Amino acid sequence: MDSDRRGQWLRGVLDLCVLALLRDGESYGYQLAQSLDAVGVGPIQGGTLYPVLLRLQRTGLVTAQWREGGSGPARKYYQLTDDGRAALRQGGNAWLAFVAPVTSIVTKGVDG
Amino acid sequence: MNADDWLRAFAAELYQRRVGGDAARHVVAEAATHLREGGGDPWLVFGSPQAYAAAIVESIGTAPGPRPGPVRLHARGITKRYGRHVVLRDASLTVRAGQIAAVVGANGCGKSTFLRICAGLVSPDAGEVAVSGRLSYCPQQGGTADFLLPDEHFVLVGAGQGVPRGPARQAGRAAARNLGWDAEDAALARHLSGGTRQKLNLTMSTLTQPDVLLLDEPYQGFDQGSYVNLWDQLTRLRDEGRAIVVVTHLLNQLDRVDVVLDLTPAHQGGRS
Amino acid sequence: MNRLVTVAEMTLRELARRRGVLLLLLLMPLTFWLIRRDSYVGQSVRALLLGISWAVSTAALFATSAARELEPRLRLAGYRPHHLYIGRMLGLWALGLAIAVPFFLLTVVDANNLRYGGIAVAMLCCVAVAAPFGMLIGALLPRELEGTLLLLTVVAMQMLLDPADAGAKLTPFWSSREIGTWAVDHTDDGYLTRGVLHGLVVTVLLIATVAGVFAVRLRRRRHLHQVPIA
Repeated sequence: MDSDRRGQWLRGVLDLCVLALLRDGESYGYQLAQSLDAVGVGPIQGGTLYPVLLRLQRTGLVTAQWREGGSGPARKYYQLTDDGRAALRQGGNAWLAFVAPVTSIVTKGVDG
Repeated sequence: MNADDWLRAFAAELYQRRVGGDAARHVVAEAATHLREGGGDPWLVFGSPQAYAAAIVESIGTAPGPRPGPVRLHARGITKRYGRHVVLRDASLTVRAGQIAAVVGANGCGKSTFLRICAGLVSPDAGEVAVSGRLSYCPQQGGTADFLLPDEHFVLVGAGQGVPRGPARQAGRAAARNLGWDAEDAALARHLSGGTRQKLNLTMSTLTQPDVLLLDEPYQGFDQGSYVNLWDQLTRLRDEGRAIVVVTHLLNQLDRVDVVLDLTPAHQGGRS
Repeated sequence: MNRLVTVAEMTLRELARRRGVLLLLLLMPLTFWLIRRDSYVGQSVRALLLGISWAVSTAALFATSAARELEPRLRLAGYRPHHLYIGRMLGLWALGLAIAVPFFLLTVVDANNLRYGGIAVAMLCCVAVAAPFGMLIGALLPRELEGTLLLLTVVAMQMLLDPADAGAKLTPFWSSREIGTWAVDHTDDGYLTRGVLHGLVVTVLLIATVAGVFAVRLRRRRHLHQVPIA
């Protein structure tokens, strides 16, 4: 796939993905990147991920806390806030409303 | 450039962009953690230190930089002739507290002479210099004593201001560490490499807590890491409210300065 | 006071580390002594005194040249000109005494029938005059080589001139020669008085000249105005 195009899509939706991953519990940067890769979004580089996390933190959608890991180094753990939960609901619905017609059009094009 | 070098360069970039202390520390620490856990080449994971710092600035904004303060150095109408050869014609420069000024221009256009006039070591044929506060000058070469240890240099400079030996030595070593140099077990100045001797030179000039710091090409013999440390240190001094004038024959993107005086004859008179 | 002592101390430290130069400097008075000691003790004492003058003034020359680039910065760092030149002079006088004492003991051990007090006073005159004299030459001549040649000329002239000659009194180290004569030849006390007086006058004149040269060289320039910090 054209990686430029994938990058553009990701830019638009990475914050939603991160919020969604945090819905089930706190996580830290490296783990979030691995989760995204595992579900098939593809490898996310730190240079893309952390600015998004910082923006979410600045706008109050997540909070962050430095904690020593069990064995590893201290990590910065991110948690979803109530505002973040609301933003996820709202943004997620908007995204779904957007991709449904896109998918339908593109599906016809590809199948035809 | 290994991961540590990358992180150091990144930290310097954040500093240059006036990202505040705690915020910068957290971002750097997070990047370090990420690299430790995931490995990988920082240039691929984060991109260049400059680009990543720019992305961070975009995400979190920067602390508003301290506004330039009152004028600390005001040189106007500086003209200097050697015989019939006019070295400087009507050069002027104003630097405020919290600013870095670069004096640039081709070889032989009078950059060092201009600085020596500002330091009061050479008299101009015309023009005046007003300085407020303490002045310090770091010459391009010389300025150190061949047969003294770095510690003894620190003691000598400190005694000028009545600083006792112990504290003077400590202050000197601490200032040297800011340039990535351990001065504690160093040899006599004559046995130091060119770059290290220059660090001694620089350390001596910052040791007097100057309000106006004049530096004549202070990076001769520096490797890339030392060069980054130097600008890191200069930015720190600027943010403490010092006025800094650096003579340089080239400016690269690392060197974010507030004022430029170009002494190349074509634009003589300078701009700022 | 602390500034004076620090400058003096650093001058001594620097010179003490230039061991090669120091040894060569000491070699001159020693060879002067050894060459002359079989023939006539007066000549050998005179040569020794000149040798000490030469060693101390050359050390002063080196110390002054080496500090040429450093001094303007120290001035900016809070030193006044007199801290720099008097401090350096104190260091050089201390070095001079350290050089003179073993040579004095050498004369005591190796020669008889001298007025040893006179020898000591003559050596003090050498040291007192040589430090500011070497500093003055170091301050006026930009390079060590030129200064060394000039010092050599002065020392040679001193050796060749007849001390009774009126012009000889104008040479800086005439005092030590005059006192040396008193100490070796047991001449009348006029020699001692004249010598001490000459030594004092020359030392004071040289210090004043050094002070003048340093004050000019490290002066606050007129174009530079200090504005009080707001």
